[in-house]
Amino acid sequence: MAYSNFTLETVRKMFQLDTDEAADISSGIAPMALSEYLTTTLARKVPLALAIGTEKASSELIVADILVELREKFEHRISFFSGIDFSIDAESGLTGVCDFLISLSPTQFHLEAPIIVLVEAKKDNPVLGFGQCVAEMLAAQRFNAERGNDLPWIYGAATTGTMWQFLKLEAQKLYIDRAVYSIGQCDKILGILSSMVEQKV
Amino acid sequence: MAYSNFTLADVKKVFQIEETVAAENLFSEIEPVIPSSVLTAVLERNMQVALAVNTEKAKSELIVANVLIELREKFERRISVFSGIEFNVDAENGLTGVCDFLVSLSPARFVLEAPVIILVEAKKDDLTVGLGQCVAEMHAAQHFNTENGNDIPCVYGATTSGTEWLFLKLEGQRLYIDTEFYSIHACDKILGILASMVEQKA
Repeated sequence: MAYSNFTLETVRKMFQLDTDEAADISSGIAPMALSEYLTTTLARKVPLALAIGTEKASSELIVADILVELREKFEHRISFFSGIDFSIDAESGLTGVCDFLISLSPTQFHLEAPIIVLVEAKKDNPVLGFGQCVAEMLAAQRFNAERGNDLPWIYGAATTGTMWQFLKLEAQKLYIDRAVYSIGQCDKILGILSSMVEQKV
Repeated sequence: MAYSNFTLADVKKVFQIEETVAAENLFSEIEPVIPSSVLTAVLERNMQVALAVNTEKAKSELIVANVLIELREKFERRISVFSGIEFNVDAENGLTGVCDFLVSLSPARFVLEAPVIILVEAKKDDLTVGLGQCVAEMHAAQHFNTENGNDIPCVYGATTSGTEWLFLKLEGQRLYIDTEFYSIHACDKILGILASMVEQKA
C-alpha cells in the first residue's frame, strides 16, 4: 500500500473523512500577476506539453515552472520538492513518492515541517489524483504534528498541468473546490497557491 | 526486458555493437551556441533548487527539459522534443519502454515521426549508469528510422544528471562514447553539441 493506491473513496473510508465535494475554496482569491519570465516560458512550453501528453512532460513543462515561480514570489522563504520519498506511516499506507511538495521552511536540502501544499500530477484528469493527494495531505498533517509544527490546514492540488483543482484539509474535514482552473488562468492559479502559502484560504 | 534493463555490456553483446575508443574527445571542435536570455534566467532560477532536491525528477524538470526546449527554439520549432513517451520498437529484443527525452528531426508534435536523432537519459547522479539504456534506445531509434524509410547515418545520445552531460554517437554498429563530461556551466558548449547533432555534423 502506498499513496498511489488510494482512491478518493478508500482514503475517505480509511481515515473517516467528512467531505464537502462542492466547496468554495478559491472564488474570492485575487489573481497574482505572472513574472515576464513565467509568461515567456509558458508560451514556449504549454503547447508542447499538450502535444506530448505525458504526465512527465506536463510536470516538466508546466507544473515545475509554476511552483518555482511561487518560490520566487516568496523570495525563497519557502521550499520546493519534486519526486522525493515521503514515507510517514507504512502501516496506514502513507508511504511513497510525492510529485511536488511545498514547505514553509526555507530549507531546501531536506524536507522540514511545516508542509503546506501537496501537488499531484495526472495525465488526463485531475480528479484521478484526488485519492493520492488527500493521502499525502494526511501524511503531511502527521509529519507536521510530530515535529511540533502543526498547521490548521493542509492544502492540495491535483493537476494535469493544463487543468488545476484544489483541495483543503482541516483535521478530518476535506474540502474539494467546486472550480477547475485552466492554465489560461495561470494568474488565478498562482494567486490561489500563494494564499495557501499565506494560510489565508 | 526493456531499455532500462540493459547494461552497456549487455547492449554491446546482444546487438553486436562495437565500441571505438576515441583518442580525444569527440566534440572538442564544435562551436558553442550562446544560450538565450530565457534559458540563462531559467538556469539561474532553477539550478540551486535542482541541486538541493537532487532527484532525477527534479533535475529533469528544472534543467534537462529547459535545455531541450531551448534547442527546439533555436531550430525555430522545426524539430520536436518528447518527454516520457513509450518507444516500443522490438519487444523480442527488449527494445521497449519509456524514453526520458527524445528529439526528432520531424516537426510533428503529437506523434513521434522519424527520424529520431537524439536520445537523452536522465540519471540522479552517475552518468555511466544510464549508458546501456541510452545505447539500447539509440539502437531502437536506428530500427525505427529504417522501418519508417528515414534512415540517417548517425543517431546520438546523452546521459545527464542535469548538471553534467556525457554524449554518445552510434554509426551503424559502431559506438563512440565521449571522453569528457560537460558541465551545465558550459551550457553554450552543451547547446553547441546538441545543435550539431541535429544538423548531423557531430
